[in-house]
Amino acid sequence: MFLASHDGAFPIPSLNDELDALTERLTLALEQAGDANALDDVRVKYLGRSGEITLVRRTIGTLPPPQRPEAGKIINAAVADLEALVDGRVRALAMRAIEAELDESIDVTFPGIAPLVGSLHPVRRAIEDACDYFERRGFAVVLGNEIETEYFNFDALNIPPDHPAREGLDSFYLRAGILLRTHTSPMQVRTMQAFPPPLAIVVPGKAYRRDAIDARHSPVFHQIEGLLVAPGIHLGHLKGVLTGLFRELFGPNQAVRFRPSFFPFTEPSAEVDTTCPGCGGGGCKTCGGSGWIEIGGAGMVHPDVLRASGYDPTTVTGWAFGVGPERIAMVRQGIDDIRVLFDNDPRVLAELA
Amino acid sequence: MKLPIAWLRDYLDLDLTSDAIAERLATLGFPVEDIVRRPKISGVRIGRLARVEKHPDADRLQVCTVDIGADRMLTIATAATNVAAGNVVPVAIIGAELVGLTIAPRKMRGIASEGMLASAEELGLDGAWFEDGIMQLETTLPIGADFVEMFRLNDDVLDVEITANRVDAMSIVGLARELSASLGIALREPDLAPASDTTGEALASDISITLESLDCRRFVAQRFSDIVVTTAPFWMRVRLALAGQRPINNLVDVSNFVMFETAQPLHFYDSARLAGKRLVARDARDGEKIRTLDEADRALDARFLVIADDAEPQGIAGLKGGVTSEVTATTTEVLVEAATFSGPRVRRMSVALGLRTEASSRHEKGLPLGLAEWAARRTAFLLASLGARAHAPYAVGAPAEDAAPIVVPLARVGALLGTIVTADEATSALEGLGFSVTHALDAASGELAARTTLHVAPPFWRGDVRIAEDVVEEIARIVGYDRIEAVMPPVFDHAVPSRAYRDEKRVAHALAALGYREAISLAVQPASIAQTYAHANVPLPGKVLEIRNPLSEDQRYLRFSLLPGLIALAVKYRGDDAYRAFEIGRVFGDGDEIVETSGVAWLLALPRSEEPPWRDAGFLRAKGEAVALVRGLCGRTPETIGTSAPGWHPGKSASLLVDGTGVAIVGAVDPRLLAAFDIDARVYAGWMRFADLPAARVSTYRAPSKFPAVARDLALVVGPEIPALDIERAIRATKNGAIANVAVFDEYRGPQIPDGRKSIAVRVTFQRNDATLTDADADAEVAAILERLRERCGATIRT
Repeated sequence: MFLASHDGAFPIPSLNDELDALTERLTLALEQAGDANALDDVRVKYLGRSGEITLVRRTIGTLPPPQRPEAGKIINAAVADLEALVDGRVRALAMRAIEAELDESIDVTFPGIAPLVGSLHPVRRAIEDACDYFERRGFAVVLGNEIETEYFNFDALNIPPDHPAREGLDSFYLRAGILLRTHTSPMQVRTMQAFPPPLAIVVPGKAYRRDAIDARHSPVFHQIEGLLVAPGIHLGHLKGVLTGLFRELFGPNQAVRFRPSFFPFTEPSAEVDTTCPGCGGGGCKTCGGSGWIEIGGAGMVHPDVLRASGYDPTTVTGWAFGVGPERIAMVRQGIDDIRVLFDNDPRVLAELA
Repeated sequence: MKLPIAWLRDYLDLDLTSDAIAERLATLGFPVEDIVRRPKISGVRIGRLARVEKHPDADRLQVCTVDIGADRMLTIATAATNVAAGNVVPVAIIGAELVGLTIAPRKMRGIASEGMLASAEELGLDGAWFEDGIMQLETTLPIGADFVEMFRLNDDVLDVEITANRVDAMSIVGLARELSASLGIALREPDLAPASDTTGEALASDISITLESLDCRRFVAQRFSDIVVTTAPFWMRVRLALAGQRPINNLVDVSNFVMFETAQPLHFYDSARLAGKRLVARDARDGEKIRTLDEADRALDARFLVIADDAEPQGIAGLKGGVTSEVTATTTEVLVEAATFSGPRVRRMSVALGLRTEASSRHEKGLPLGLAEWAARRTAFLLASLGARAHAPYAVGAPAEDAAPIVVPLARVGALLGTIVTADEATSALEGLGFSVTHALDAASGELAARTTLHVAPPFWRGDVRIAEDVVEEIARIVGYDRIEAVMPPVFDHAVPSRAYRDEKRVAHALAALGYREAISLAVQPASIAQTYAHANVPLPGKVLEIRNPLSEDQRYLRFSLLPGLIALAVKYRGDDAYRAFEIGRVFGDGDEIVETSGVAWLLALPRSEEPPWRDAGFLRAKGEAVALVRGLCGRTPETIGTSAPGWHPGKSASLLVDGTGVAIVGAVDPRLLAAFDIDARVYAGWMRFADLPAARVSTYRAPSKFPAVARDLALVVGPEIPALDIERAIRATKNGAIANVAVFDEYRGPQIPDGRKSIAVRVTFQRNDATLTDADADAEVAAILERLRERCGATIRT
């Protein structure tokens, strides 16, 4: 209710009647306004600069001066109430719109719009996963040239001049004394010659051997070489590091087994087996029932190799190992033919990524 | 190497399963590739044929009365023809299990037959390697004994892998010794003829040996007479057969038996058939020939080491004997050769002839000098047991010398293995393998010092053990590698950089993020790739690097570019949509020096579309991706200039420059190459050498302007030869400008632009850091820009 004038004079009740009528019309208009634009129109029509409320304000001038302040207060109060009515209606409409949006529902199983997707090769992923592990353990990752000299590929690695690999049966020669490296091991000597101990490196990269390509062999393949040389390093450290590596690559329950072997550049030497990821050690087709799979070769760096590298075998010891990223990829991704990796079929690459 | 467990048990009392033996050998460093399971045979006795009579009602059957040492003789009918009274043969009694059959009583033409006389095949042996019909045994064998047990016919055969350093273990005794040391079971050494002094001169009746080549390091010779060539005893024949060696006659079989037993190959010459009284080990002469025991005529030259008599070569050293002095049925006298040849020489001869024998596979690994005499003494024992008369042995060449003891501090064992091994453990492990171990005497007191250092003398057959580390491995093999406990090493500080690897990794990830799939291909390729370039009239980047000894013509050359490999993949795998692939790898070139370059190539193949000759949307896409790649790698947006490179389209290729230096090229692939590779698509490619990749820059912070920017689009008309870069540079070079950005965004040529000129649309954004630009300011800037463009590029405003 609008306040009655204290003296009960005529014009005030008449003003109140007008305001009531205006309120009634505005309320009706608000109810009919169905969207934000219509509400704006209503606000302009009734409360705008040249709206109806302005007509009412003008009547103040017709009042006797003592009544004008009172009439002004009454109008202002009425305007505030009317603004609130409009705002309320605006909020209600907005709420209704949100509720309507909330009621919307689509088929979320409809295929998404595919972004452009590339991928890394499974061999690189195996290399990266292994190198990530070694980098966390303080190893540098170095690459080397694929063309090597006999000195670094053989001599410095304690492989004698009359070794069969040197007669071109197993190695690709480019010139006398120059060949495609048959392993990543030359980087052992190259890095040791360039940096003093302690030294901790891994060397991923291609190697070349004269093997005809079949399901298990390729003339071009990859290796990951590892080398740790420092005072006090022993085979137990190698078992520890490789156990960690295979747990990272194949799963938390992997174990490592060493078996004696022979490599000219390590002594003692070991074949490295790890728990068959296919069966967890119980025995399956993948591991031929043994529960173990062969995964690499390793050993303590031969004193002759340390000497050729300028290291003193009486003050430092070290180990080296080699594992095959193809083998890692094949084991953990269930690939039974190495040629799959070099076919680069995009359907396969997408699946293996 | 085939390891018959039956033969192994001659030297060891083993009661382990085949699998347990295989596992033990693997832990010793001799992995077993295969276990050949023997058929399980039972119920076979050694029997003597007391009487053999014709079957009354069957011409082809004979009825044998067989003594198997029981109370009663057995009656057994047989169709075999090689049966006679007195023969000793294997007899399968009722209930016996043979290969593929169980023996039951049966009637044979009215006669109840109580068993079967067995042939080789029924006993699981190769019939072609033994006599036809019933197997014939020595009459000295105990009648009634269990035949299968006596000859261990049911024992499996292991196929053992022997590492190249262990020629001594290419022998039954060698592997028996390993198992003996590992299992702690005593080794029964084979019986040898008594040691005799071999340093003496050959007797006048003997054939003298002369070594004219150092590649024959030692030659132990011994003459035997009163030889009767016949079938070898069954125990020897069955062992050879199980080891995969066909029995021939007693002489050849002894020679093979001793080789399998000791690893030392032997050769027997029929000394009556040698010309002169002399054998010479010498290089063959050009033009000499030999017919070897495999009936092959072989032309010789100076690469070959031969053993020759006065007339001609009688054998190729370590590989194969000659037929002229071959042992035959009538041989009565032999000269036994147990020689040590240069391993590499034997291997080279083996490769040259394409011939590898059991003998050469041992010789080529370098046999220990001492083995020859040991094997000769074993041979003498066996030949004597067959009735031959031995003459005094004699040897020429380098004598086998005892190796100097190796000093092995026990601390070294622990330092390498990371596990404590006691002096007792180490000593017992080594002694089990035939090493002799002594302990250092204390210098001051002369007493046995605390046993912290072992003095280890390897046995004569272990030439592979030379340094302390070798000894440590021997100890570790016997105490077991499983003793080594997994521990983590400390992290060490060092200065080795990982930059090359990081660069490769970043490039790979960046290209993958741009939608490219990584390919890895073999870096070897056929001549056809370079020929394709030639036919397409596309120059090669340089001389192609050739492999001297390729495996096949498909893999004769090393790749000179990553591009052909990617194109081949696009040809094979490109579908209807865009195809993107990249490869990181080395490319090679030949010349005065061999060049190896590490780089990355990427390829984008798009379906064909109609475009005017001056526009190539695919190029813009490829370039946009390449620019994003370079920007992501080094933090700077590269500039572009036109370039040409072999394999790329000369008018549609760009070099991306950072700090004025080319970092990468990107462009359309040369259409001649595309046609030659038969690919119908628009193909774009990029190439970057890792050496050209600038270090990533860590940029300095610049506060963005707080004042609004004003953008103006300019429609310019320029000559067709004016590149967008020139327009951009001209705009940027306008002095006193507040230019925040310049972006060329459209090009048009056509009838609406006269005189063959082109329209270029550029959006220039102005912004100041200190004040709001007014329209008037921007107008003034634009006027200055247009003036400069007119001067520099002959640009007019498009009306």
